[in-house]
Amino acid sequence: MNERVERLRRKSFETMPCVSAERAQLMTQFYRENMYKYSVPVLRALNFKHLCERKTLYIGEDELIVGERGPFPKAVPTFPELTCHSVEDLKILDSRSMTRYAVSKETMTIYEREIIPFWRGRNLRERVFKEAPAEWKSAYEVGMFTEFMEQRAPGHTALDGIIYRKGMMDFKEEIAHSLAKLDYLNDSEATEKAEELKAMAISCDAVITFADRHAEMADEMADRETKPERRAELKKIAATCRWVPAHAPRDFWEALQMYWFVHLGTVTELNGWDSMCPGHLDQHLHPFYEKDLAANTLNREKAKELLQCFWIKFNNQPAPPKVGVTAEESGTYNDFANINLAGLKRDGSDGVNEVSYLLLEVLDEMQLLQPQANVQVSHKTPERFLKAACRVIRKGSGYPSVFNADEVIMEQLRIGKTLEDAREGGTSGCIETGSFGKEAFILTGYLNVPKILEVTLNNGLDPLTGHTVGLQTGDPRNFASFDALYGAFEKQLSYFVDLKIRVNNYIEQMYACYAPAPFLSVLIRDCIAKGKDYNNGGPRYNANYIQCCGIGTITDSLSAIKKHVFEEKAFAMDRLLNALQKNFDDEESLRLILFNKTPFYGNDDDLADSIMQQVYASLFNAIDGKPNTKGTEYHLNMLSTTCHVYFGRMLGASANGRLAGLPISDGTSPSHGADRKGPTAVIKSLGKMDQVKSGGTLLNQRFTPSVLKGETGVDSMAHLIRTYFNLNGHHVQFNVVDTATLRRAQASPEEYRNLLVRVAGYSDYFVDLDRHHQEEIIARTEHESL
Amino acid sequence: MEFIGKSMTLSEVLKEIEKDIPFYDESGGGVTFSGGEPLNQPFFLLEMLKACGELDLHRTVDTSGFADSEVLLKIAEQTDLFLYDLKHMDPLKHQLYTGVSNEKILLNLELLARHGAQITIRIPVVPGMNDDKENIERVGAFLGRLPGIRQVHILPYHSVAQGKYRSLRTDFPLADVQPPTALQMEAIAERLQKNGLQVALGG
Repeated sequence: MNERVERLRRKSFETMPCVSAERAQLMTQFYRENMYKYSVPVLRALNFKHLCERKTLYIGEDELIVGERGPFPKAVPTFPELTCHSVEDLKILDSRSMTRYAVSKETMTIYEREIIPFWRGRNLRERVFKEAPAEWKSAYEVGMFTEFMEQRAPGHTALDGIIYRKGMMDFKEEIAHSLAKLDYLNDSEATEKAEELKAMAISCDAVITFADRHAEMADEMADRETKPERRAELKKIAATCRWVPAHAPRDFWEALQMYWFVHLGTVTELNGWDSMCPGHLDQHLHPFYEKDLAANTLNREKAKELLQCFWIKFNNQPAPPKVGVTAEESGTYNDFANINLAGLKRDGSDGVNEVSYLLLEVLDEMQLLQPQANVQVSHKTPERFLKAACRVIRKGSGYPSVFNADEVIMEQLRIGKTLEDAREGGTSGCIETGSFGKEAFILTGYLNVPKILEVTLNNGLDPLTGHTVGLQTGDPRNFASFDALYGAFEKQLSYFVDLKIRVNNYIEQMYACYAPAPFLSVLIRDCIAKGKDYNNGGPRYNANYIQCCGIGTITDSLSAIKKHVFEEKAFAMDRLLNALQKNFDDEESLRLILFNKTPFYGNDDDLADSIMQQVYASLFNAIDGKPNTKGTEYHLNMLSTTCHVYFGRMLGASANGRLAGLPISDGTSPSHGADRKGPTAVIKSLGKMDQVKSGGTLLNQRFTPSVLKGETGVDSMAHLIRTYFNLNGHHVQFNVVDTATLRRAQASPEEYRNLLVRVAGYSDYFVDLDRHHQEEIIARTEHESL
Repeated sequence: MEFIGKSMTLSEVLKEIEKDIPFYDESGGGVTFSGGEPLNQPFFLLEMLKACGELDLHRTVDTSGFADSEVLLKIAEQTDLFLYDLKHMDPLKHQLYTGVSNEKILLNLELLARHGAQITIRIPVVPGMNDDKENIERVGAFLGRLPGIRQVHILPYHSVAQGKYRSLRTDFPLADVQPPTALQMEAIAERLQKNGLQVALGG
């Protein structure tokens, strides 16, 4: 990277996130003066415009792409209409050791004097918790499930290519056309639609104003600038901000600035999950890149510099500060913008182009937390591109993650999208499948599947708190067969899923009524045509998901009970339950039998894998097809983010030999230390899951750098990926370990059972090597990671 | 003393192999029979090779070459590639270090080569034992004359076995031997290349 980018990058990297009260303050002023004067959508749109007209602007030294969500980089606004942080919350944010957000005295005072008095009792979070039924609360409190929308808005949104062909003026014309067509005689919703459409038009004006203010500021800065080069850049910034987002972009630079204003608009309007995502950025930018190159107004180097400046803007926007359970399930600054590379074009041809390679280089050089990038590998993706991606992956940052584009398309076709819309879709957030620019695909929260087994084993009781949280499905000591136990588990599962969906549907309507997102609705297809909001079924497609966690832990636990209690009768259910209750105190030998003598998921062992299939089918049957409030359905998703740690803490000892409080298995990966037959066996086990019936699965694979050394290493990784995808795998990401991890593996070998290291002409499990040899490997790895 | 490993039937081994077919199909890889010495179980090996042949799998046999010539040629009919060890050209030194003379090994290699087998030679380079100029030159000259030798892999000595000796409570006889340096390995590679051989380090 050049010096400019290096300076910008360092600044972004080193700046500490802080809470900004500006948005909260502006919005509170606006609401005080304007509540009840307008319909809710128009009120929200005018509030958005109020923010765009008044918020503090920032154009930094060296910057080429401009605009911040807060008053300056890493200053994070709050959304008191959804969650009104208490003084106590702010103190925790300011002092906690992980994902800390600095809170100034001034911010604290503004909150105490203005924000809290107004929003207390009025914010959605409080209203939701007040309305939720007691049985929901008791399940929520013991860590049975989480609720995504309790402090963040519905999101996981990604855009298609429309904003590179249409500006806000074009959208306003469409809105006017839609308004003119309203049929007040025959359509009982006409008034409601009119209000929504008016709100959309206002929000278009809002972002145009926001850009114009940047243009003015850049012009003023240019007048004061003494260096002619920077003056010219500021002039170009001003001209760009005057053109986009009002009009469709004309060149590469304008295209990036166009996206960025749109991005800032959506994340200022509401704090939707996973911020916003440009989708297939390589495909969107390619026409501009080619055109500018041909016109000699851009070269590869300049394009890369612009992309890097653009990249840094994402990193400047940490996730809004999360508290409570939400902070546990997603404890990170990462706001999950996830750029898609490769994949297929709308017409089914290969999506890889020169910008794909450029973006891969940018990702490699920047090494920043945000944005993330992923590679969508289809059967048409050239080997050259896949290998280029593998070379970046093996450097160890975990980026890019890799997706099976063909599978992602199939998952969408299964739930009724057109082939073209599915191809234009991809992955946002972590691993979530959606149709970009045309869908609201809403994740509603995580489900602690091993916890459901725990409650089943305790006849509806949570053993950690002693509270009754589930159904009374019988004392498992009296179950005559594994099938009887499994039947009870299915009853509990269905009870908790329905309980969760009941409250989800309530919250969904709260957002439709009180927190519409008119600006986001402008950008997502069919909202304008239908006159309906993004949060109220406006998009062409609407889907809800429940993310099921701990498939490894539940499979292994059931496998252990099936084998040792019911089939071999090595010990009675009573002894097992007592051991679990005591966290295996005085029962270490029992624990070791469970942990070492049970068929576990992740070893290509049909005994264990058939149980995984059984559980997966039960989850699917309990969730898929349940109605949401938009006339569409719930589906299954197999992601855990950081929730497996929280869920593990809320779970006692489990029958797979896992001690109380330790994390449950992540995503669809095997339990820690359960997969003992190498990465190929893991992939074969995962291949037995009918992944196309989900909205995404997640597989972590961990290697040492030396396993992936040289061209052979790149080839092996590419083969592993292609093979997994031939078996219909959805996603895989590689963790290339460093010395620190190897040291931790020495300290707790059981957790690192599956860590493969390159020994000589072969690979072996690190924890199986003797100390002397481990030391040798550590020395070597350190050398290789230089 | 504890018995490590387990007895398996032909169909049990085959079932394990079949699990990896998706990987072979994608990467063009296949099965390698190694050891110990797979030719110590010639009947089992032959049946395994035939079964893998029926599954269209690429079959490699990793051998020291110390086997009955007739058996070896029968095995060769069912083998796509041999990884063939060559430890020393001098019969007496070979006897000294391995416990057997190399005559049969060299004869078998020549036989295999003349019967059109595909062969990759593997030379473990142990400093002070077989890395001297004279031995390497003799290896080069011998291999250079043989048809069908695709490649030579030179494998630097390493001390991984030390742990195994310790767990067997046996003294490790090579405790003083240091692995060869990259420079030494390069010199050996160059010497072999003079005989028209393709040489790869490691493998």
